[in-house]
Amino acid sequence: MSLRFLALEIRRVQRSPRFLIFTVAFPVLLFLLYVSIFGGNGQPGMIATLMVGMTSFGAMTSALFVGPRVATERQAGWQRQLRLTPLSGAGYLTAKAATGLALALAPVILVPLVGALAEGVSLNLGSWLRVTLGVWLAAIPFALLGLVIGQIGTADSVQPITQLVMLPMALVGGIFIPIDAMPEWLLQVAHVLPSYWMGQIGRGAVTTELSASLGEAVLWLGVWTVVLGIVVVRRYRRDSARV
Amino acid sequence: MNGTHTLSHAAVRLAGLRKHYGEVRAVDRVDLAIAPGEVVALLGPNGAGKSTTIDMLLGLTKPDSGEVSIFGSSAADAVAHGAVGAMLQGGALLDDATVGEMVGMVASLHRKPMPVAEALRRAGVEDLESRRGTKLSGGQKQRVRFALALVSDPHLLVLDEPTAAMDVASRREFWKSMHAYTASGRTVLFATHYLEEAEEFADRVVLMRAGRVVADGSVAQVRALASGRTLRAVVPGATAQHVAKLPGVTECELRGDRVALSSADSDATLRALLSWFPGAHDIEITAIGLEGAFLTLTADEEGVR
Repeated sequence: MSLRFLALEIRRVQRSPRFLIFTVAFPVLLFLLYVSIFGGNGQPGMIATLMVGMTSFGAMTSALFVGPRVATERQAGWQRQLRLTPLSGAGYLTAKAATGLALALAPVILVPLVGALAEGVSLNLGSWLRVTLGVWLAAIPFALLGLVIGQIGTADSVQPITQLVMLPMALVGGIFIPIDAMPEWLLQVAHVLPSYWMGQIGRGAVTTELSASLGEAVLWLGVWTVVLGIVVVRRYRRDSARV
Repeated sequence: MNGTHTLSHAAVRLAGLRKHYGEVRAVDRVDLAIAPGEVVALLGPNGAGKSTTIDMLLGLTKPDSGEVSIFGSSAADAVAHGAVGAMLQGGALLDDATVGEMVGMVASLHRKPMPVAEALRRAGVEDLESRRGTKLSGGQKQRVRFALALVSDPHLLVLDEPTAAMDVASRREFWKSMHAYTASGRTVLFATHYLEEAEEFADRVVLMRAGRVVADGSVAQVRALASGRTLRAVVPGATAQHVAKLPGVTECELRGDRVALSSADSDATLRALLSWFPGAHDIEITAIGLEGAFLTLTADEEGVR
């Protein structure tokens, strides 16, 4: 992977108004809105849960954001241009995934910061690390999922596909709607989703209710990472063999 | 890889290259060797297989069969070593990055790039350095792509219809910067369907039609292939058998009294015509030229498709 390439990738994304709206502003605003609706009557636990949910939501969308860019660049012929440089396909994909993770830093820092400064969330150091660093690392499978979508989608279809993946992930995974409000059967479905386990990474740090152990969450996210990583590599090999 | 080693290999060697897309034979057994330092025009109408040949040469498309080598190594190795730079047809630029950022990033991927400022200057886009991709005209985009192809300081430059989106002035500018580049002994292969570009800038012309190389030689040689002249006249009482027997005639067409002849020796044809048919009149003789050669050699293109 080339650092110069990665640096330009990140700089380019920061120029995108969509990135600023959806991955920087949206999770913060949504967090403030949720708190004003549900968390107003002195429930610090509730506020912390909402904070964790919105952090996860922001990290997830940021990481998935790489997909549309991969599809657009393939369609526009930029990937062909890059194939005439020593940058390998693996280098390209790694940089794209790393870009997604770099973007995910914004919500992972901003939402907890607003939580701590404006909403009075107070946690111990270990818990803060879990809701920031932990959630950030949990975004890895989502960056890979973004790559898969980018490899499959066309410039036209990649946005709807991303939405189709993201919304159920966020809803059923208990990120948008707290899992406390979910019926039992839906919770069972949620258990296979990486978004659920991403949520659990943060949730476990702020509440013991309905939270799984850290080890279990890490295991599930690890499995997702490996599976999606294999899909990306396979798809990439097929793509380069076909042309 | 030292200098003599490089020189002992052809810059480009294509052997028995084939590519089919379903029933269409895009490229059908193309053999081509280009010596280091040659400037070669790949000429042909649309659909002749020029772009597919170039894509296979660069390793962007996998041939069904045949071999590609660039300075004795595979296309992938040549690309990885920065030995080949290419300007693709409709190759994309980034909308959200500046010209300087794009060229600088591509330079950073190569081991021994030329300074970014020099690549920009050679391509004539130094004043566009801080301009974003969206704010460039068609001709400017082409020149930025040229800078991207140049920045690795390649030994071989491959250009697919480089002046397609350019107006006359930028076309002239482009070839001026190309001249400066080829003067330093680099090898260039460019695809074009502009005859005058091939005539003016190439040492050698490779003519393609329907996936095959139909002529290969210097501009003069290719022109000579379909040299000769066309003779038209009104010849009362002419018959096809008689006219075809005139000396030098390679092809003839008769419509009523009107005769159109292709002749390898128009002087002899004319003398014989006038002695056999003293009534011949409205005689017109035209040279075929490269344009005619091009049309003759690629004539059944429309019929094939």
